[in-house]
Amino acid sequence: MARIELEQVSKSWGDVVAVEPTDLVIEDGEFVAVLGPSGCGKSTTLFMLAGIYAPSGGSLRFDGQVVNEVEARDRNVGIVFQSYALYPHMTVHDNILFPLRLSKMPRSEAMAKVERFAALVHVDELLDRRPAQLSGGQQQRVALARALVKEPKLLLLDEPLSNLDATLRLTMRTEIKSLQRRMGITSILVTHDQMEATTIADRIICMSKGRIEQIGSPDDLYLRPNSLFVASFIGAPPINLVEGEAENGALYVSETRLPFLNGGAMGQVTLGIRPENISFAEDGLAGTVAAVEPMGRETLYILRTPIGHFSVLQTSSTKRYEVDASVNLQFAAEDTLLFDRASQKRLDGVQVHLP
Amino acid sequence: MPEATALRSPSTPDWNALAERARTRRRMTQAVLYAILIVTSLPVVLPYFWMVTISFSATSGSTDTFVLWRSIAILVPTIFVIAGLQQGVADPRRRRRLRWAVIAVAFVALLAFVAPHLHVHNYRYLWNPDIVEDMRGRTGAGGGQFPWVWTAFGNSLLLAGAQTLIVVTVSTLAGYYISRFSFAGREGFLKSLLVLHAFPAMTLIIPIFLILHWTGLLDTLTGVVLVICTLELPFSVFIMKGFFDTVPWEVEMSAMTDGASRRQAFFKVVLPQVRVGLIAVGIFAFIKGWEEYVFVATMLFEKANWVMSLYLFWVADDIMGVDYGIVAAVGVFYVIPSLVLYLTTQKYLTQMTLGGIKG
Ligand SMILES: Nc1ncnc2c1ncn2[C@@H]1O[C@H](COP(=O)(O)OP(=O)(O)OP(=O)(O)O)[C@@H](O)[C@H]1O
Ligand SMILES: [Mg+2]
Repeated sequence: MARIELEQVSKSWGDVVAVEPTDLVIEDGEFVAVLGPSGCGKSTTLFMLAGIYAPSGGSLRFDGQVVNEVEARDRNVGIVFQSYALYPHMTVHDNILFPLRLSKMPRSEAMAKVERFAALVHVDELLDRRPAQLSGGQQQRVALARALVKEPKLLLLDEPLSNLDATLRLTMRTEIKSLQRRMGITSILVTHDQMEATTIADRIICMSKGRIEQIGSPDDLYLRPNSLFVASFIGAPPINLVEGEAENGALYVSETRLPFLNGGAMGQVTLGIRPENISFAEDGLAGTVAAVEPMGRETLYILRTPIGHFSVLQTSSTKRYEVDASVNLQFAAEDTLLFDRASQKRLDGVQVHLP
Repeated sequence: MPEATALRSPSTPDWNALAERARTRRRMTQAVLYAILIVTSLPVVLPYFWMVTISFSATSGSTDTFVLWRSIAILVPTIFVIAGLQQGVADPRRRRRLRWAVIAVAFVALLAFVAPHLHVHNYRYLWNPDIVEDMRGRTGAGGGQFPWVWTAFGNSLLLAGAQTLIVVTVSTLAGYYISRFSFAGREGFLKSLLVLHAFPAMTLIIPIFLILHWTGLLDTLTGVVLVICTLELPFSVFIMKGFFDTVPWEVEMSAMTDGASRRQAFFKVVLPQVRVGLIAVGIFAFIKGWEEYVFVATMLFEKANWVMSLYLFWVADDIMGVDYGIVAAVGVFYVIPSLVLYLTTQKYLTQMTLGGIKG
């Protein structure tokens, strides 16, 4: 219900820069997820959108209108805080009712709405309790109901599902997504869970140290990371990175020569390959198994090779290797990602292959 | 394996005996605890109890204490018997029944041996405005009129009430500001609050007297209220700041995104969470104003301005040798408001921990 634009928006406290000047457009009704390590400015960005913090610079626009100076209460933004921030002296019912009471909604209508949203997040049994008498997951759901009940035009979720068990998290994720669709609320979700981000969001924003590293679809971030940071942050288990020197049409890692297939590069280059893109083969890069970590459906092998350690993900149903077994590795040229170490940027269109 | 069999003791322990021993020990501990509590609270309770019995039993001029001894002779054994029941009788229903029986017996005994000697004659000052003059002739303190006790009571109420209102309001606003906003010199301000409190107020009595004199507030209740408030405020502000510190910042922000103005967020969300602090600060301020003696004695002269503490002092001073029954009765009357206040609010006071004392 609102198109959000950030133009050179930044936030700092004295010398501490929490968010560097940032440009970002979020389309009306879009659902974006924000990923990034702890302390990278995710919450700060949300708080600026909510009107809790005033940006230190730049302009923030809702539907084309600059809202930098508009107070939080006039922005019609729903927010679920990392710490839930329920009102401890009110019952669950009154917590959810609070925004409606402030908006002077007729009593009967407000009551009906509270019931409806409480049922939606499955806290309708708990309406008479105080927040202190709820589990963490229940509190989170109450916070969600309170944010949704006023049908905001922008929904901000600061890790709203972090305290739920795996099953409930899945259902809530689906619930949030379908609610968001139905109500058409522009939503921003901060999360540390990449699965959550990729399943729920239309676009993912990857942040680091107060800057947006990359914005894109889950596939963009995973298959075409712009930078070393995004490549190493997205994906679990993390991508394998090996540092080498590029010269004479090949990447040299220690003594091993990996010829460039497309394009080429010079200087310090880092090679990245995802664990699931490496396979065992009859020949190829020789190595030994250093550790085996069964993960259920898949098994993670840590391999020692002349060019460093590699983690390799294999479906558990294939042949099992024991520690110290000798193996050979293969990977396809199209799965290789190459980064310039000086600029940390990905070298587009450049690939290497095993000789 | 011989070790394994050796480890398992040949005779299993006698669980029943062990449980019995634990029970006995627990009962002993509790009995000793009760005894200690009763004995140590006697010196605290006794003077008050004495004051109450005197006020209801003393007749003009007499100094006999038989009502006190008789009541004690009845009540103390009752307390011990009840404590004993607590230990000795296991079945709670029977225990309760026995307890009521003991209380009934004590009550009948009091009715028979003590009640006939009780009267409210010593409380006649409540309806007789000229009691002291009647007894002493018109030559009492300063040879002047004693005010009626209700005048003093009203003044005390006014002083304590106004003081409570001011202290609660100012310390709430100041505490909130200090807790939420940073400003130059905040650290120093906080430290000086505590230092101010550490100052014995008595040392300031002469400057305060002079200031009141120059501002024309000497011998007015307003002046005294302002002085006591000033002395009370530093610590109250500090306490309230501690309470506000415990209210998470997000909760307030949440209220504001929910559509509340800063003021609404303060009144609807923050204030209810520091209710215990408000009550505590309020009660302490009230009690402080109610029992204040030094400053009122120094700065109030006019009899129409007397407060209860002055009234009690002058009654005691004037007619102690003549009729200490009245003195005791005034004392009882003086204590009642504090007592009522404590009893009605102790639920909140016991919840109070000095909410997070930190910078
Ligand atoms: N009020 C403040 N004053 C000074 N620095 C702050 C303030 N709030 C946040 N910061 C700093 O700004 C940076 C970003 O903080 P922010 O809370 O946005 O991180 P985050 O990405 O939400 O982290 P997390 O995932 O741990 O919640 C941090 O380095 C933090 O220390
Ligand atoms: Mg955060």
